[in-house]
Amino acid sequence: MDLLYTPEQQAFRAEVRAWMEAHVPKEPLPTLEGRVGFDAHVAWERTLASGNWGMVTWPEVYGGRGLDLIRWLIFEEEYYRAGAPLRANQNGIFLLGPTIMEFGTDEQKARFLTPMANGEVMWAQAWSEPNAGSDMAAIRSRAVREGDDYVISGQKTWSSRAAFADWGFGLFRTDPESKRHKGLSFILVPLDAPGVTIRPIRQLHGETGFAEIFFDEVRVPAANRIAGEGEGWNVAMATAGFERGLMLRSPARFQAAAKRLVELYREREADASPAAREAVVKAWAEAEAYALNTYKVASTVMAGGKIGAEASLNKIFWSELDRALHRTAMSLMGAAAELKAVGGRVNQWLEGYIFSLSGPIYAGSNEIQRNIVAERLLGLPRLGAG
Amino acid sequence: MEFSFTQDQIELRDGVRAFLDGTHGPEVLRRLDAEGGRDPAIWRSLVEMGLTGLIVPEAQGGLGLGLIEAVLVAVELGRADVSEPIVDTALVAPRLIADEARLAAIAVGELKVALAHRVNPWVADADQAGLVLGGAATGERLESADPLRRLFAVERADADPAMLDLSALTAAAQLVGASERMLALATDYAKDREQFGQPIGAFQAIKHHLASVAVALEFARPVLWRAAWALDHGHARAPVHVSHAKLAATDAAMQAAETAIQVHGAMGYTYEVDLHYWMKRAWALAGTWGDRAFHLRRLDAAVIDGAMAIGPDQTFETGMQHG
Repeated sequence: MDLLYTPEQQAFRAEVRAWMEAHVPKEPLPTLEGRVGFDAHVAWERTLASGNWGMVTWPEVYGGRGLDLIRWLIFEEEYYRAGAPLRANQNGIFLLGPTIMEFGTDEQKARFLTPMANGEVMWAQAWSEPNAGSDMAAIRSRAVREGDDYVISGQKTWSSRAAFADWGFGLFRTDPESKRHKGLSFILVPLDAPGVTIRPIRQLHGETGFAEIFFDEVRVPAANRIAGEGEGWNVAMATAGFERGLMLRSPARFQAAAKRLVELYREREADASPAAREAVVKAWAEAEAYALNTYKVASTVMAGGKIGAEASLNKIFWSELDRALHRTAMSLMGAAAELKAVGGRVNQWLEGYIFSLSGPIYAGSNEIQRNIVAERLLGLPRLGAG
Repeated sequence: MEFSFTQDQIELRDGVRAFLDGTHGPEVLRRLDAEGGRDPAIWRSLVEMGLTGLIVPEAQGGLGLGLIEAVLVAVELGRADVSEPIVDTALVAPRLIADEARLAAIAVGELKVALAHRVNPWVADADQAGLVLGGAATGERLESADPLRRLFAVERADADPAMLDLSALTAAAQLVGASERMLALATDYAKDREQFGQPIGAFQAIKHHLASVAVALEFARPVLWRAAWALDHGHARAPVHVSHAKLAATDAAMQAAETAIQVHGAMGYTYEVDLHYWMKRAWALAGTWGDRAFHLRRLDAAVIDGAMAIGPDQTFETGMQHG
């Protein structure tokens, strides 16, 4: 154990800090979940890419910097320290990117990764269906092989950013006779292809980042399939692991929020309860614990270890921390908590609280995660299996 | 920057765990409980295992290891619920003693040390200690909720901050170990106990309780490790990190205890299942070496009153680096 940074790591931190100070927008951008905000965030993605900061852990050949996970953590710390905007392309860079890296062909890597890192192509995920949310093996959307193409029909829903994104990735049933998790394939679809219809869904905060996607005989080349036909479930499970695991929710995000929460408490201390003080300290302490755990996992991965079902512990922890942190902020805001704007600026606590409510639901609900922890880490039996 | 253990540290932990699993099972706890005392044979076996010399300097016959090793071993001692004064004597006292003869006596297991401190109104195992550090104990014995603890009243106690931090750190480690054991006991019970034609562990209600304990425990661990490292290296923030560790471990342990008794059902409310020994040890450790309120105050004074820089770049002391 060595909890000191090397001079090289410190120099890297200084480099990131200087770049962020020079480039991060002075004012917060409008919400990522609306058209105007999404476009502003895409512009920020391209600014990041111009500094070669699009995806620092990717190999240089795909537009990355080939950095290890400790440097990724340092990058993220400086990113959130500077108050940089949320990533418009998080579905691409944190979910699909690692999936292509693990399962894609060289040609697919060259074709999809570089534009992702450069902020040129924005990605949406197309997992859930009306009858396949937490039970993702119940997927019905079909992809029928015709020559070198697949012809896709069906419906996806709760597709984050699909209203604005360029491409989607998802699971489709390529074997019509198959049941459950067999016979599914992982296919990439341009969202402007003929036969694709997007219907935005208004979310809790009133914006339309979500959408339903309807596929009516949409023709895509078979070269858009990641890994083998019928192997989609395993690929998707790996992607879901990335989603719950190390990279999607970087600890710096919660540490930055906890710091803002402490500042909010200092402003409101005269009206705050002792219970609020404890909740503030607890939120800070848990954000720290999450960061420490991420450093621990990063060190394990760098030493050749793998993340398995532990990713589910991670997902439960950050999502419930985020909700508690924002709930505490809402209580400290008092009567002002309900206002959509405070002092002429967007009420970030309200927006953050609403968003935090989705955390325990998406990326596999926390109920599913607790089942995974119980069955795979603790070895408890499945219902009816005994 | 590397937040992981060396191969030697992992082997030490695994070795101590295997040794304690083989020599210090629940049947030993029941026997000690029935006999109401300490067993010199257990102390001798801990000495033979080399635990008394762990952090004693090599010049005085010890291994000269650090607080990371001490914490790894303290977790195992908590997991096995060892009640001999091994933590106070071997994992705390050597850092508070300069006298070479005393250090040498600790290393070979001849000197047992008890610790008196102002935040602890009672001293554990004072009757068999050759030395009470930090104050004086009286002969008056007090009964603890934990039948394996032996507490004595204090006549006088100092407020040595080094003793407090070292002891709070090792108490947090024992709480983590106790939590591991309580989770394991409850999980094993849930696999065996059948109701409605199923092992109760197949039901989500039970699964989710146990998974929540696993989450709390997983995220208490690295907090403990950072505290051990910071204290070992004399960092300015070490006392805050120790308080964080004690709070996280206490909260995880209380959750583990309450969940474990719930999963055991009415059996959990009896003296017949093993669970109660760890549950009662957790209650005792939660209140000792600074209770929840004590450590929360130390933490919030640092965080809220602005004595300490906070934020995403402050997980570790970034101003410090290898030269």
